[in-house]
Amino acid sequence: MAKKDLAKPVNLDPRGGRPREKCVTYIEGIDRILNGGIPVGNIVLLAGTVGSGKTTLAMEFLINGAKNGETCCYISVTEPSSKMLSNLQTYGFFDDSLVKEGRLNIFDLTVINDRLGVERLDGTYTAKDMEALLGAFEDIVDELGVTRLVVDSITAVCYQLPDRGSIRNFIFRLSQFLSTFGCTTMLISETVVDSNVQTYSIFGVEEAVADGVVLMGNIVRQGDLLRSLQVVKMRGAKHSRARHLIELTPVGLAVVPLLKWGQDGGQAFT
Amino acid sequence: MNIADIAKSVIKSINNGDTLASIGLPAANFHEGTVQLATVLLGKKLGGIYITTSRPSSHIVTELEEAKANLSDLYFVDLVSMTVGGNTDDARTLFIESPTMLESILLNITLLERRLKSKRRFVLFDSINGLSIYSEPKVLREFINVLGNSMRIKEIYSMLLTVKEQTDEELAAALELLSDTMIGV
Repeated sequence: MAKKDLAKPVNLDPRGGRPREKCVTYIEGIDRILNGGIPVGNIVLLAGTVGSGKTTLAMEFLINGAKNGETCCYISVTEPSSKMLSNLQTYGFFDDSLVKEGRLNIFDLTVINDRLGVERLDGTYTAKDMEALLGAFEDIVDELGVTRLVVDSITAVCYQLPDRGSIRNFIFRLSQFLSTFGCTTMLISETVVDSNVQTYSIFGVEEAVADGVVLMGNIVRQGDLLRSLQVVKMRGAKHSRARHLIELTPVGLAVVPLLKWGQDGGQAFT
Repeated sequence: MNIADIAKSVIKSINNGDTLASIGLPAANFHEGTVQLATVLLGKKLGGIYITTSRPSSHIVTELEEAKANLSDLYFVDLVSMTVGGNTDDARTLFIESPTMLESILLNITLLERRLKSKRRFVLFDSINGLSIYSEPKVLREFINVLGNSMRIKEIYSMLLTVKEQTDEELAAALELLSDTMIGV
């Protein structure tokens, strides 16, 4: 063997192949867990219980993208955008100018629904409504050139779809055009813990269609609640599957591996 | 070994290129010892992070001021004040809600490390025994291992302080395995 071959390190990555282009979250610990970021165009289900930090993580993902020159969009389903904007002021990493310059766009789904005329008294979309809504999402992403999108929450949208087949179809169609546009997306999924088991979604469909699943939750340690994060799947990326602890700090989210013995008494994830 | 000798050993250990030292201090003058040690290091123009699990950081600040220590590049991670309802309003201190949140210590060191101006930096952990009140031995041993190795990667000189009389053989062995040097034990 030639001397220069000896100096060349052997690639120990069992996957081999070429890595996909990554959408860097600029959240230090998250990019480390994801081995550089989320593969561009992936739809990621950000699943978690109440108070686990889903919205904060998603917002930081958008804000960091906007600060780096991308056009980002947040679609608020569960609360008015004005309330979301005032909440944003409490984040130390938020910058007003991002909204003024059109880098960070916040939309209210109820306003979109009103304009499309798809708001139903019984709260259920028809097939035609679903098409109109998908069209509206596509227009927003296409016309603004959105590269990062957050829908908060997909659970609230799914409640308006008539059955599991429609949910699967909606998310599949959404992921198809978002992927075509190279728009990396986080769909926030509200989950509950039942008999110490946390699921990825209320309807059990979203996780199968999504390219990635990030599970957030609370761990009880001697009565104290700790926020946790675990990447369950991420197509196109070699990633950590270890459970991590996250903290919301004035400068953004901070992530550190969770102590293994410290997980005793934690909730089980499935 | 008196405190002056311990301080000399610490300086020697820093000069030798060590990154992790376990330091045993007697219970009778533990608090005076930690303050003296920090004062000596700050006097040598090191910047540092003082992690307290044994008493509120406000008390330590007062004692360091009385000892005429230069506090311009010293920050605190305080695991005591919030637990006991003490003063939690200090720009140089990050407060942790509960001493069971061990991972938060690592996070807060990372946040404070960015503020340190000095080239030569230290972390003073006062004390490992303080954590053993709230965490089981297996959790504590894992934490010490993670903390020690994190500090090694960061190349910050770290001192894990223990109260001599409260340190059992198992904990001492875990510290010895991890540390570059054992001082005062």
